[in-house]
Formats: sequence, structure tokens, C-alpha cells
Amino acid sequence: MVSPFYILIVGLGLGFLLGMTGKKQAALTNMLTLFAMAFFTGVSLHWIQGLYTGAFQPSMVFSAGFKPPFSISLFLGMHEAVISLMINVLGLISVWYFREFLLRDSKPLGAVLLVMFMGLNMLVFTRDLFNIFVFLEITAISMSGIILMNDNHHAHAAGFKYLLASSLISAFYLLGAVLIYFSTGSLYLDDILTMKSAFAPMALIAVFLMVIAIVIELKPFPANGWALDVYEAAHPGIGAIVSGAVTTTMLFLLNKILVLGSDKIYLLTASVGALTFLFSNWMGLQQKNPNRLLGYSSIGQVGLVLAILGMKPVLGDGVEMIGFGVLLTHFLAKAGLFWLSGTVKGSSLESWAILRNNPVILTIFGIFVFALSAFPPFPSFYAKWELIIGLSGTGNYLLIALILLGSLFEVIYLFRWFGIVVKAESEESDSGIEWGKAAGPALFALALLAGGYFARNYLSAPDMMNFIPLVAVVVLWVLDFMPAWAKNTLLLAMVGIYSWFYLPQYSDYQLIFGIIFMAGAVLTLLYGYSEKGKRPGFYPLTAMMFAGLIMLVEATTLFGFFFAWEVMTAGSYFLILRGKKSQPHALSYMLFSFGGALLILAGFAMAHAVTGLWTLDALVMDSPLSPVIFIMLTLGFLTKTAAIGLHIWLPGAHSEAEADVSPMVSGILLKAGVYGLIVLFMRMGTQYIGGVDLMVILSWVGILSALIGNLMAAMQEDMKRLLAYSSVGQLGYILFGLSMMSNLGWLLAISGAIMHFLYKTMLFQAVGGVYSRTHDRMMYRMGGLIFRMPMTFIVVLIGIIALSGVPPLSGFAGKWLSFNAVLQKEYYLQGALAVLAGAVAFLYLFRLIHAPFLGQLKDNLRKVKEASLWILLPQYLVIAVIMAVSTVPGLLLERIGKLLAKTFPDGGLLWVDSKIPFGARTAISEYGYWNGTYVMLVTIGIFGILLIVQLLMQRNNKKVGQFNIVYSGERPSTPETTHHAYNFYAHYSKALGFLMVPLAERFWTWISERVHDIAHQLRQLYNGNGQVYLMHIMFFFLVCYFLINGGF
Amino acid sequence: MGEKIVYAIIAVFIMLNYGFLVNGVIRRIYARVGRRIGVPIYQMYIDLFKSWGLRTNIRHGTMFYLGPIFRLTGGIGLFLFMPAVYGLALFTNFSFSGDLLLLLSFQFFGTLGMALGASESGHPNSAIGVTRGLAQMTAVEVPFILAIMAVAIQYDSLSLTEIIAQQQGGFLNWTLFTNPLATAAALLAMLGAMMRAPFDVVLAPQEIPIGPPTEYHSNYMVFLQSNRAIFPLAKSILFMNLFFGGATTIVMMLVKTFILLMWPVLVGVSFPRFRVEQSIRWFLRVPMIIGLLGIAYVHFFLK
Repeated sequence: MVSPFYILIVGLGLGFLLGMTGKKQAALTNMLTLFAMAFFTGVSLHWIQGLYTGAFQPSMVFSAGFKPPFSISLFLGMHEAVISLMINVLGLISVWYFREFLLRDSKPLGAVLLVMFMGLNMLVFTRDLFNIFVFLEITAISMSGIILMNDNHHAHAAGFKYLLASSLISAFYLLGAVLIYFSTGSLYLDDILTMKSAFAPMALIAVFLMVIAIVIELKPFPANGWALDVYEAAHPGIGAIVSGAVTTTMLFLLNKILVLGSDKIYLLTASVGALTFLFSNWMGLQQKNPNRLLGYSSIGQVGLVLAILGMKPVLGDGVEMIGFGVLLTHFLAKAGLFWLSGTVKGSSLESWAILRNNPVILTIFGIFVFALSAFPPFPSFYAKWELIIGLSGTGNYLLIALILLGSLFEVIYLFRWFGIVVKAESEESDSGIEWGKAAGPALFALALLAGGYFARNYLSAPDMMNFIPLVAVVVLWVLDFMPAWAKNTLLLAMVGIYSWFYLPQYSDYQLIFGIIFMAGAVLTLLYGYSEKGKRPGFYPLTAMMFAGLIMLVEATTLFGFFFAWEVMTAGSYFLILRGKKSQPHALSYMLFSFGGALLILAGFAMAHAVTGLWTLDALVMDSPLSPVIFIMLTLGFLTKTAAIGLHIWLPGAHSEAEADVSPMVSGILLKAGVYGLIVLFMRMGTQYIGGVDLMVILSWVGILSALIGNLMAAMQEDMKRLLAYSSVGQLGYILFGLSMMSNLGWLLAISGAIMHFLYKTMLFQAVGGVYSRTHDRMMYRMGGLIFRMPMTFIVVLIGIIALSGVPPLSGFAGKWLSFNAVLQKEYYLQGALAVLAGAVAFLYLFRLIHAPFLGQLKDNLRKVKEASLWILLPQYLVIAVIMAVSTVPGLLLERIGKLLAKTFPDGGLLWVDSKIPFGARTAISEYGYWNGTYVMLVTIGIFGILLIVQLLMQRNNKKVGQFNIVYSGERPSTPETTHHAYNFYAHYSKALGFLMVPLAERFWTWISERVHDIAHQLRQLYNGNGQVYLMHIMFFFLVCYFLINGGF
Repeated sequence: MGEKIVYAIIAVFIMLNYGFLVNGVIRRIYARVGRRIGVPIYQMYIDLFKSWGLRTNIRHGTMFYLGPIFRLTGGIGLFLFMPAVYGLALFTNFSFSGDLLLLLSFQFFGTLGMALGASESGHPNSAIGVTRGLAQMTAVEVPFILAIMAVAIQYDSLSLTEIIAQQQGGFLNWTLFTNPLATAAALLAMLGAMMRAPFDVVLAPQEIPIGPPTEYHSNYMVFLQSNRAIFPLAKSILFMNLFFGGATTIVMMLVKTFILLMWPVLVGVSFPRFRVEQSIRWFLRVPMIIGLLGIAYVHFFLK
């Protein structure tokens, strides 16, 4: 057993010794420092191992044989050992990271580093209040020393401010320690604890002083200007130490001393923490300097841990694990990011774009960003879940709101940054990454993944999840060096095998959506064969999105559902981000998704609090809270289905994504939201607020989405944007159907979901095929492609006939069902708008086929070839399905109807046999009837007869050349002026333009601008003046004092 | 089934010829209003044979070739999916295939096919005509659907046969009298679907020489003219069935449809042409409001 005192001895001893070495012994100094830090780490590891195996017991060590208060008392348990390990590993890597300075500079950096880390270790171990003061001073002085060693005047100023702040902090702390000694006669923490119940008022003030000192050390809002300047000006390696090691130590220390405090002190800590988290992240929004941005983020994250620790009286001892989850993520990610910052030259966010030249570094950066944003599988994700569940169980809704808002702000700037790194124009082209400096971040990124794996064990909710889909992600990540076709085949095979084994186990809605997701994967992957090269990163991300979707339908618990939801969101975000110009759209997708996910999380937590269940059946409840929960969850899911008002991310995201990603995120991904709504509505049913039926409101949201989405689609010139807006419209119909809460309504919605999946997959692929040949998305710049790409034309033709709801194709089923459902439900006004929306759909559909395919062929497209076979194949598979269900609609509708009868026994369709065999049955509703097979046969019959008649009637029918038209005797040889396609519905926008004013976009822009304005105003607080910063600290101290002790 | 097909062929034959003659009459009325003598009422037959006899017969592509076939399939299909004479096997057609909604949607089958065919010709006037037609159609649909909805609520059915059955037993049982508001909305909507002034901007002979069919000639024209004979008739049969008690004899059907066809003619000869945005606004004002009132009336007073 190595006594922790050796850390003190080695640190202090070597520190003094190294101070005496000269420049010539730089190599030796460096080596010794490294060895000493390795020794520290070894001691921590040694203790962890001993404590874990039971060889050692948590024990108290006293110096020089004295008892407290005359000795230095060190306690070493598992917690202390782990925290010290974290600090020491960071220290070890820091020494390695600074080795250039150590070798080059004559300044005794190594010595100061050693002393400081020794101090930090002692702060973790010691149980003596005066000792704490001593080591606080040692670390503060050595810290400012390190900062001051930088050769720029900003760093000098920052170091000085740090020193000023530290002296105030020490003063507060010392005052507290003196008062507590005065009041209790002891400085030994364990002694004082026994006296806690009989504390005199002075002792209470003493505890307040000590706590507030450490809280200020943790940089609370607004008394943290000094820390921000340090983060910005100091070397990033120092940022890593401050943000990682010092903060971790101080949080641990605070947790030690907080035990002395009353509930009021805890509440104060929690409030300060939550506000710091919120405001720090808020101000981060306006930040352009990466190091300062990291500073804001650090301060925010520490605020969150403070808030969590402060919730101990409410949430119990579990908060320590939650806090540790957040802290660990922050520690690893922030240190890693600061180290990465040191490898980037330049001080703008854009300069980080250099990271993407190296896929490994980019992955590491991505891991840090996603971990900080609390995505699975990182520890912070589990911590966030536990925290919100806990807070909601105790009814702390305000705190939940503050924390969720803060984390939304954090995600905004983190992902804006991530998007810039992945996409922005890079000024430098060389990779410029020093592998030596990247080792630390790499190690910490791995530790984050490992931490996530262990964090699962501390989950209070059962996580009966099938993680097999995620295996595909890992496998494809490892095999990412292979060519695209090989990975494509591999993923296809994995989807195939998985569906072979698992699909038969699905039932009901799970089965329907399972089929959509898996068939969708197959259809979109077939298209993938048309892509050449390696497509680095594409396949693991695709696998991630589909894994999320599959886990979503398999989820039976609240946690499982949320986990899958986040995995899917992350995967799809990456996929969207791959598009050439998709950076802003991917960001807006992420923000809406993240906001939605937060609402879902909060809703789930509240549902769990109400019912106490962990399964999705927790949503079955009858409580005054249920309408609130219902609204939150519905809003969460509606962000994914892009209901009007929440749709502004969709057009850009879907249209700027790569050709085969568009069908994934449109035809398939949107169904996740629909599935969520189904899961919710099935369990919560109809909810009322103040007597208002929320379903009626949703029906209006749905129908307005349908109308506005279709109108907007009709006005687009870009064919992918057109299809994207069309999705808004179609999903609006689906929402409308679901909101009816009737058999026919749901039949409309679910068959609509399946059909939308088929149509959009097919049409986006067709459009992708066109793009692959023309490299253009503007429809008016094309024309006459029917002569060059007839196979693609047929697909679009079938697609638009089906989508427009013209019999005999399957889209008519939707119209028929919608009308019947409307009559049944007496939603007449919505029904009329649904019809208008349906008619408007004609406009955009016709445009989609007219502008690119019909009319005049452009000169530059004369040599365009048909899309490749792999692009066409999935489209024709879809056509086969569409033709089958068009001819025998019962194939689909009757089956779904049977399933719906379980939920809605009344008002469904009746299927009766007709005179035609092959299962062609007539559907009978309360109002009318329809036999798809008859319609198909009669239509084909008439068409066939007329075709024969035409063939018989014609004589010498000749095909003529392109410009051979009746044109006032002219021969129009310029297709550009003859092809009428641009601004096709000018008259329509003249008549109904008022409906197409982008209100939602203006609203969100307004919100975003105001949020940024406020951030800007708040930031003015930090003017760089050290005196002002001291005033902030004093002001903060006074406010806290009065809050705790009254006086206001 | 064989019997039904034979009946259907006979019915279509009768209606086509009737349509040709009615169109002749209408052209004559237009001429007389314009103080001309006009064509003989059998002029349509002469036109048909003349078109068929043309020596030039060209195509711009497959869709162009199929356009008129789509168009006429739409017209004949609309007619055949509807019972034209209540209780008469000959004119019951294939109405068992689907209800009122099938008809409402199927009328676009021809529109869409024709639009595609016309577009392939590459003639700008065709494309302009098509955008005008589609845009106007969306607005016309709204009052029309509101009227249909009112009827469906009133009779608790979407089945045309059922709707006709409930109007039997005296003209006071017609929807015209039981629900005049819905009828008014539908009749106003009918104006927009008949290609006559003030809603004939789609063809607009003086602006975009007949719009969509600009490039069509010879046997294509035969098809299009046949459609122009049967499609308006089919539409008026629909209106007759919905609002005017249907017909129990062939003669009654012919008379009622003739009278109904005169309604757009009457308006058409009296008014100048609307621009597209004007007609859209118009349909979404007065007729739509009447339609909504019709539904309110049914909902609150008849149920």
C-alpha cells in the first residue's frame, strides 16, 4: 500500500528540486516531471485496484503520528481514488503535451505543474479545513504562475485577474475556516460533521463562506469574467488543466464541504448552478473565439454539475452518480477539445475546419461534441436521463425548464461549430495535425465511449434493449476502408439477415413500421450501388440511422424509446450534413430535433413520475398533468414530422442532402415521428385543456400543413425542394388522419404513411437519377428529358398519378378514406381544406413532370443518358408494389383495418366479396363503397379500346423533330424561350400569395435574433477589466449572502 | 358482366351522338347571340370526318400520342362509373365500381393525361393553357366539394344510386328544393368546369390559340371532340343526379341534361372572360361561402 503522502512528498520535493535545474538539464527536467506525474497516476491506479479487489479498505492517513487537528489528515476511498486518477491522468498527458515548452523554455514549468497537481491531489484527499486552505493557495499560485508563463500580454492580464480572484476566494474561505474553528473548536471535517445538528449561527455563516468561496472558484454566473479571460488568453493546454483538473477537484471539494451546509445552502448552490448553466450557454451563442467558446461551455457544464450537487436534499444520494456522469463527460471532452485547440492555428471557428483533413481527428472531435450534447452512448446521456427523471419525480419543473433550455443553447453553438468544422471552407490544406498532441484527445475519446458503457449500469430504468442493430454501426466503422460497393453489400446483407430473424417477431404497428424501415433500408441501399469510390463515413452513419429506427420500433420502455430516438437523430444529422451545401440546414434539423427530443424527455419523465412505470404504458394515465405531457410529447414528435410551424428545417435538409440520403430522410425518417404519434395517441387518447379537444387543434395543424406544404411545393423551382415541401403536405394529411382518432382516420394515416414512404422513396430516387445525369436541380433549366430518360419519366408519371389521388392508382384510396373519415367525424371545414390541398397537389405534381421531362429538350441535355440500372431498380420495385396495391387495395387496407379494429372497433370498412376472383373485394364504408379492381379493369378496358381505335384510325403517323410546332409560321430554335416552365404558377401566387408568406420562418428568425441579441447584451458584462470582475465577485457574494441569511 | 359491357357500349354510343348534336345546338346559340346564322347542328359530324380525313398525321412523342386517349378515357369513364338513368339496366353502367368520390377523382384522369400529352408537344401555349386550367381547377373544386359534402351529409350516403333514390317521389324532394344553398354552390362551380366564359381562359382562343390542344389535329382531334361531346354531358348527369332528382327514363335524362348544359351557355354568352387569378378569387369568395352555408344548413337544420 503506497501512502498518498508520497504524492505530497514527491510533488513538493521534486518541485523544489526542479526549480534549481538550468536550461541545460531541460531534457532531464522533462523526464523527471513525466516520471513524477506517472508516479501520481500509478498511486491512484494502485489504490483503485486495491479498493476494487478489497485488498485495501478506504482509510484515513494522518501525518507524523498526530491526530487532528494537529496533523494533515488524508482520506482515501474509491471516490477519492477515481477523482485523483482523473486528475493525474490529465496531468500526465499535460506534461506530455507541454513537452516542447519543457524542453525549450528555461522557465520551470515542470516544477510548477508538479506542485499544482500535488496540490490538487491533496485537495481531493484532505479532510482538514485548514489544509484545504493551504492547498487552495498552492494551486492558485501555481496556476497563475503557469498562466503568466505564456509570452503574450493577454495571458499576463488573465493571470493577474486569476490571482486577484483567487485571493478574494482564499479570503472568503479562510474567514469561513477561522469562524468554524472558533465556533466548533475543530478543523477536522469528520469532527465538525458530528456537530452539524448543533451548529451555532456563526458556524452557519462559516459554512456559507467556505461554500461560496469554492462556488466562486467554480466560476458561477456572473462572477466569472476572470475565468473566461483565462480560457481565452492562456495556452489551450492550460485551458485543459483549468477546465478539467481544477474544476473536477473543486467540484469534489465542494461536495465534501456541502455536507456541512443546510438545505438553504444546497438550494443556493443548485440555483446558482442552473442559472450559470443557462446563461453561460446563452452567452456562448455569440462567441466566435473557439477557446472562449470552450470556456463558456466549461462554465456551463460545471454549472450543471453544481445544480445537480445542490439537488442532493431533494434527489438523495443518487445525485452524486448523476453529477459524476456529467462531470466525467465534461472532463474528458473539454480537456480533449482544449488539446485539439492547441493543434489548430488561428483563432476563429473556421480555422478548425482543418480537422476534417484527418478522419480520425474529426471522429474524435465529433465524439466530444456529441458527448457534450448528451447524446447516447455517452455518460452524459444517461446522466441527463436520470436527472430529468429525478427532477420530474420531485416536481422541480422550473429547474427542468432551465436545464433543458440551457442544453438547447449549448447544442446550438456546439453544432454550429461542428457544422463549420465538417463543411466550411478551409483556409489551409495541409493536415497539420501533430499526432503527439492528438494522443491525449484520442485516449479521452475512447474513455468517453468506455464511460458510456459503464454508465449503463447505473441506470435506474430497465433498459431492455436489443443492441444488435448497433453492432452494424461498429462493424461498418471498422471496415470503413473498404470500397463502397462492398460496404453496401455488407449493410444490405445485415439488414436482410436482421429482418429475416426479427421481423417475424414484430406485431401490429411495430410490424408496419418495421417493414417500412427495413424495406426502406433495402430500397435506398440498392440505389447506393450507383455510387463509386469509398464514401468514407457514409455506411456507419446510415447504419446508425436505421439502427435507431429499428430500435425505436422495438422499444418497449421509455428509456429504450428515447435512446433509439437520439441514435436515429444523430445518424440522420450526419447523413444530412454530408450534402454539399447542407450545413445550415443540418444545423436547423439538429436544433429542431434536439428541441423536440428535450420535450419528449421531459414528457416521458413526467409520465414516469405520474404512473411510476418504466414501460411505454406509463403514458396510459389519468392525471391533471396528462394534457401537459400530451402537448409536450406531441410537439416533440411533430418536430420530426415537420408540422407547419415546425417545418422550416425540412425543405433545406431534404433538398440539400445527397441523392440517396434524401429518400432516407424523407420517405423513411419522417415515419419515426408518425410512429411516435401513434404510440402516444394509442396510450393517451384524446386530451382536453379547458374543455378544448386537443385533437381538434391537431386536425387543424395537420390540414394547414397539408395546404401550406402543397402550396409551397407548387411554387418551387428546385425539384428536390418541391418534393421536400410535398412531404410537409403529406405528413400533414397523416397527422390529420391520426387526429381524428377513428378507425377510418387512422386507416388514412397509416396507409398514407406507407404510401408516402413508397412515393417519396421512388420520386426522390428518380430525381436523384436526373441529377446524376444533368447535375442540375432547377426544373426550368431542363425540359424534354422524356426523350433521353424515358424509364425515369415512367416512374415520375406513375408517381404523380398515384400521389395526386387519381383513380385507378393507389392514391385514390387516400382521398376516398379521407372524405369518408371527414364525414364520419363531421370535420367538414377541415375536409374542404383537405380537398383544396389535394387539388393544389396537382399543381406541383404536374410541374414536377412537365418542367424537366416534357416540353423542349435543352441543347446541353441532348447527350444525357438514362439513369443507371441501380438507380432505376429500386424505383421499379416500388412501382410493382404500387401497381399491386392499386389493383387489389384490400391487400393493404383490409389488413391494416383488421389491426385497427383492435384500437377502434367501430366505424371501420366492411369488405365484401365481388364477382371477380383474386381477392378483389369491395370496400364499404358508412357512406359509400369502392372496388379498386373494378375501377382498374374498367379504366384499362376503356383505355385499351380507345388505343386500338386510335391505332386503327391513324394513317402514316410520323414522329416529327423537336421544333416542328405551329408557331405563327416561325421555327423556334431556342428551347430556352419556348419551354414555358419558369414561375409556372405566377397567377396562382398572385391570387393566393398571402397564404405563402413565410410566417414560420420569420417567427423563428425573430426568436433566434432576439436570443442572440440577449446573449450579446449579457456578454457586455465582461468588459475585460479586472476591477469590474472583482466587483462582480463581491456583488455575487453579497447577493448570495443576503439570499441565505435574509436581509432583503 | 358481358351484358353490362354491351349495355355500356350502347350507352356510350347514344351519349356521344347526343353530345355531338347538343354541341351543334350550343354553337348555333352562340352564333345567334352574336347575330350570326351559325353552323348546322350536325356540323360536329362534318368536323369529325374532316379531322379524320386530314392527310397530315404527326406525333411529338408517346405522351403526346396517348394524351387524347387519356382524355377520352376520362370522359367516357366518368360517364360509365355513374348511373345515368335510375333503375334502368341499360344506363346503370359500371356504377358498382365506386361511389361519388370515384367520380370526383376520376374526372381528373383525363385532365392529367391530356395535360401531359399537350406538354410533350413543346408548344408554349399548351403549357400556358395547362397551368391556367390546373390553377383554376383547384379553386373550382372547393365550392363543388362543399356542395357534395352537404349532399352526402343530407342523404347520409356517397352512393349516387342511393342519393337519387332519396330524391324520388315528386320534384319537391330534389336537392334543389331541399338544399338550395348546396345546389347554388354546385351550379356556380359548374360554370368553372365547363370551359365557357367567364372561365374559359384555359382555351382562350384569342390569346393562346386554344391552349392545351394547340398541337392536336386529325384523329387526335376526333378523340378530343368526342370528349367535348361526352364529358360535359357526363358532368351534367352528375349534377342532375345530385341536385335535380336524377332521371327515371332516357328522355327525362336527355331533357334534364340539356337544360343543365344551357346554364353555362347562358352565363357564357353574357359575360367576358376572367383572368386566372380573378376566377380563383371569385370561386373562393361567393361560391365558397354559399357552399359553407349549405353545409351549415344541412348540419343544423336537416340533421
